[in-house]
Amino acid sequence: MEPEYLLARAKDENILEKGECGGAVSSIFQYLLDCDLVDGVLNLSHGEDIYDGIPSLIEDSKDLIETCGSLHCAPTMFGELISKYLQDMRLAVAVKPCDAMAIKELENRHQIDGDKLYKVGLNCGGTVLPITARKMIKLFYQIDPADVVKEEIDKGKFIIELTDDSHKELKIDDLEDEGYGRRVNCQRCEQKIPRNADIACGNWGTEPGWTFIEIITSKGKELVEKARENGYIEVKAPSGKAVAIRGKVESVMIKMAQKFQNKYLEENYPSLEKWDEYWNRCIKCYACRDACPLCYCRECDLEKEYYEDSGDTPPDPLTFQGVRLSHVCYSCINCGQCEDVCPMEIPVARIFHKMQKKYRDQTGFTAGISDELPPLYSPEKE
Amino acid sequence: MMKVTHTICPSCSVGCGINLITKNQEVVGTYPYKRHPVNEGKNCLRGRECFEFLGEETRIRTPLIKKGNLVDSDWEEVLNMAARKINSLKGEDIGILASGNCTNEECKNLKKFADALNVENIGYYNHNFPKFDFKTGTLEDLENSQFILVIGDVLKDNPLMGRRIILARENGAIIIATDYPEKTTTGINANKYIQITSIREFLDKLDSEIQSKLDERSTIVVGKLDHKKELNKLYQIVSKSNSKLIPVMGDCNSRGAMNILPALDTDDLKALIESVKLLYVVGDDPVSYTEESFKNLDFLITQATTINNTTLLSDIVLPGAFWAEKGGSFTNNTDNTQKFPQIVPAAGEALDDVTIIQKIAEKLNITF
Repeated sequence: MEPEYLLARAKDENILEKGECGGAVSSIFQYLLDCDLVDGVLNLSHGEDIYDGIPSLIEDSKDLIETCGSLHCAPTMFGELISKYLQDMRLAVAVKPCDAMAIKELENRHQIDGDKLYKVGLNCGGTVLPITARKMIKLFYQIDPADVVKEEIDKGKFIIELTDDSHKELKIDDLEDEGYGRRVNCQRCEQKIPRNADIACGNWGTEPGWTFIEIITSKGKELVEKARENGYIEVKAPSGKAVAIRGKVESVMIKMAQKFQNKYLEENYPSLEKWDEYWNRCIKCYACRDACPLCYCRECDLEKEYYEDSGDTPPDPLTFQGVRLSHVCYSCINCGQCEDVCPMEIPVARIFHKMQKKYRDQTGFTAGISDELPPLYSPEKE
Repeated sequence: MMKVTHTICPSCSVGCGINLITKNQEVVGTYPYKRHPVNEGKNCLRGRECFEFLGEETRIRTPLIKKGNLVDSDWEEVLNMAARKINSLKGEDIGILASGNCTNEECKNLKKFADALNVENIGYYNHNFPKFDFKTGTLEDLENSQFILVIGDVLKDNPLMGRRIILARENGAIIIATDYPEKTTTGINANKYIQITSIREFLDKLDSEIQSKLDERSTIVVGKLDHKKELNKLYQIVSKSNSKLIPVMGDCNSRGAMNILPALDTDDLKALIESVKLLYVVGDDPVSYTEESFKNLDFLITQATTINNTTLLSDIVLPGAFWAEKGGSFTNNTDNTQKFPQIVPAAGEALDDVTIIQKIAEKLNITF
């Protein structure tokens, strides 16, 4: 499909006000629920504060208001929630690029039925770990994190809005130099616009109060048209300038990501000695495996007798991390969930991402994007 | 209907946050709770499996009464029986044993219940950790330490406390670990591992290298003791050197229970059981570690969630609730009291433990 761009916003006044950039995404969800095209919407709702995004399944469109507004401090993953718990539902899901990549890989492995799914993509410049965000706001902004009512990543800055309506912003580059800012996986991520979803929505290039939508699939095209016909959104064509700005934002961010890939996967890649130190910490808790949206085997090789050593920790990295690496590194989407959940702070995703990148460079297979399965994939696991 | 709800992990005393995934009122999995300041979405295996107990086959779903064997009963029968037995005895003949897994609210209710009946034989088994009320170090203190002494295999037993030791080491801290085995997980990740044969001797003749390193930017993490006196010795050491001390106890509310009920070691526990005729056990399984002491007991009431050695020996078994079935609060090692909500209904006829205590009290006509 040729790319098709439009600007959209909610017709419902409440959503127009509470939603991000005119609330087009929430309105599209409202349309899907009201017209019974889906049984539920999977999105994030606010927990105790803006640093607390909780995956929520919305089944009544009246409750969508709880999920309005974007959260950048919620590095969640939806892939496994769908494949494990929501397989029986017709679903619409708000996906960051990594969610969309995980879903794609799970679809390729017949763990998610793509026909039952509407994937509403959200452009993503990266997420910040909630506790890191709070520490960073205290340390560098010298603001009590509880006083922040909204945060935003725009034009290379992390912007916070306070209870008194004032704003404070700092350059993400500077924060990241100090070890704060976006998760390192997000820094390395090249997928800023989820072109593996049905539509990709965001604020790059748009005018205030409107969401910029890129239509990606025919399903997405029909979705937006029907949402408009049924009076949920209004749309207009973006200016050529808007399209150009959006394209520029994307290409700048991709270049930055490549720079970070070089930094983390080449220049500052841990030495073999450092990896030995990391593997020594492993307590064999399987958190990395369990958080990986691609690891789905019902019977995991790691728990088979021939790989189980005495149960002592650390496990032999060759038969533990090595086996996992040989199974999933080709498909690694660099979502970073494994690293996020590792109690021992082992930068697991680095080795997986490095391997995937090497593999991609040799074969052209991009995990989460390419339609086929990785060439070394064993179908026996399905 | 799928839902993700915040709770506190009940698996150890670190007090990590964890999300439970429920589907149609049943807990089906866990999900990282990255906003939680203690563990930032990281949980150990025990933590991630914490919900599996809820559906265990050995789950007690109805009140049980001994008629030869334990047989199914109903609340009215067991509560009447419990009240009759309690009423027939003086306070001094009654013992109450709570557990470090009881919520703060349960401990408070048990204390009031005991006071109303003039029961002085009350407490909970806290292994070898005595009651203490000194200010303990925080997780931030630990992470920012320049020197850390670890007693016990904290990395393995309490990984999310261990994580702060790893982070400190990444920041350049020197870690010395000590324990009994030849090799421990903490030991292989420390700068130095000292294999010992007695904690007391180790503390009495504290290594001069350790002594010289202990200062206001140091923390001692103690995950095991052989005797309660050793904690006082440790407290003297940190007081003298201005360093911090973090005792890491076994149960999710070991620290909270301590503020309300006496903390018992094995000897205290045996003495308590052996001095009473009726024992009311809430949330613990003392028979599995001190079976001998139960020989002379006339009547045993156990409030529990699953069949264990103590319920098997009981005259009455009251089906209690798991943490996710009742809500309440736990106080973790570093003295943070954290509330958690009820997420699913209790299994079968099981009730939340505070309600059970109050129902017995009602039968006894005592109010508190």
